[in-house]
Amino acid sequence: MISRVLPKIISACFAVAAAILLCVFAPFGTAQTAGSPGAHAPQLDYEFFKTRVEPIFLKSRSEDHARCYVCHQVMRHGGGPLSLEMLPAGASFWTEEQSRHNFEVVSKLVVPGDPSLSLFLRMPLAPEAGGLADTHQGGRQFASEDDPDWQNMKAWVLGQKAGGSSAP
Amino acid sequence: MWILLGIVFAAVPLVAATSRIYVTNRGGTTISVIDPATNKVVEEIKGIESPEVVRFSPDGSRLYIANRSVDVLYVMDRKSGKYIKKVPLSGWANDAMVTNDGKLIVVCIRNTGTEALDVGALDIIDAKSLEKIKSIPVRRGLHDVSLTADGKFAAAGSPPGQSITVFDLQKMEIAWEVQYDQGVLPLIVESNPDGSGHRIFAQLNRTNGFSVVDFATHKEVQRIVNPDEPKGFGPGCEGISHGIGIAPDHKTLWTNSRPANAVFAYSLPDLKLLGHVSLPETPVPGKAPRGGGPAWITFAPDSRTVYVSTCGTKSVSAIDVEAMKEITRIPVGEMPDRISTLVLP
Repeated sequence: MISRVLPKIISACFAVAAAILLCVFAPFGTAQTAGSPGAHAPQLDYEFFKTRVEPIFLKSRSEDHARCYVCHQVMRHGGGPLSLEMLPAGASFWTEEQSRHNFEVVSKLVVPGDPSLSLFLRMPLAPEAGGLADTHQGGRQFASEDDPDWQNMKAWVLGQKAGGSSAP
Repeated sequence: MWILLGIVFAAVPLVAATSRIYVTNRGGTTISVIDPATNKVVEEIKGIESPEVVRFSPDGSRLYIANRSVDVLYVMDRKSGKYIKKVPLSGWANDAMVTNDGKLIVVCIRNTGTEALDVGALDIIDAKSLEKIKSIPVRRGLHDVSLTADGKFAAAGSPPGQSITVFDLQKMEIAWEVQYDQGVLPLIVESNPDGSGHRIFAQLNRTNGFSVVDFATHKEVQRIVNPDEPKGFGPGCEGISHGIGIAPDHKTLWTNSRPANAVFAYSLPDLKLLGHVSLPETPVPGKAPRGGGPAWITFAPDSRTVYVSTCGTKSVSAIDVEAMKEITRIPVGEMPDRISTLVLP
């Protein structure tokens, strides 16, 4: 428990964003899942997350983008929904245990198999591309869905495995 | 009389030409510098990840830059852009201010990282030695800070602590506090003509308006709520009122509102509503636009133009005070944040 109030603020923003997300994307989400949500939901793959998604959080992508980790490390994020583990002193990547915790944290912001309803994908995506990045304190991290990093994140949400196959 | 007027008007371009507006682009790694004479970005400071705020030495030779990525205060030579020093801080810095005499830099620390809760502090740096000479701990993290004109007191707001803490900068200790039932966001101190504190105007995270604290009694004496119209916009990227400032001529108070997606102007000292100016919306293809998320506020030195950073639109709005309308929208970097005016001597 890092903070009792700041998370409320962040959570309030998160809730607003989630409400927007549901209003904006629900019709598409329903069409894409073609059935009850979760009925055929893929499993999120930890190894894919660790090797293809987690590095994005630490990547300096351009001068117009601060690294995700700068704001989302737990000591900066006040216990908000996407609070990442602090890197160990002197380390350039998380420990196995920390990565598993990050996986759990980020998985809560995902509707497996449904990118349109996954806040993890929509929050950093530019509004011009259908995202919510104008309400994201880190701004427009991805200008479009064509961004290779965003594509990796999407692939994880869709259940792609580290070995290359997707599930189910 | 005409000679006097001539001097005044002749001085206006000079004033405009000798000031700069610094905008931290917190979602990126740059600081945009706007020339208020042209309302164009004339410089970009690069390589500072997630900059929080830029403040200045009184002679304009130094920039003091707080950022989110490392727990230091960058001291930069303004002309050369070279670092003079990186002053270690007690934790993650949010806001900073410099006393009018230039002797002290106060930095509010959002999280010292010393405990599970986000414990805050006010770091005090001696501007001559560029050493941190004191760190005054507070219960919870601090967000914004403002000083009395005489430099004797600093007032800082805490969102998690739901409080304003006023620090005595001579004794270097906490002087008094005001407790609220909601988080405190940006605030500004109104000073008396002798430079002592008169009132604090503080934005609260669940109030579409601001609180008024009397400096003499240490109590909230008024809570101003913005008009219901305009309305219909969400809270944007942070709290619902997130930017407040007093014009340099001390005649007006400007406070933004995210539900209104507008900035409201109040007269000083009587706090009568003068009007509002609507701010940029964020276009969303195929959908209704969202509010632009107005953030911090600053002014041209002659008080004729108000500048509002709008975090969702990557822009700064320049507002003509007399006409009460946006005259220019200046594109800046990602998620523009705190915004400050440098007046060059």
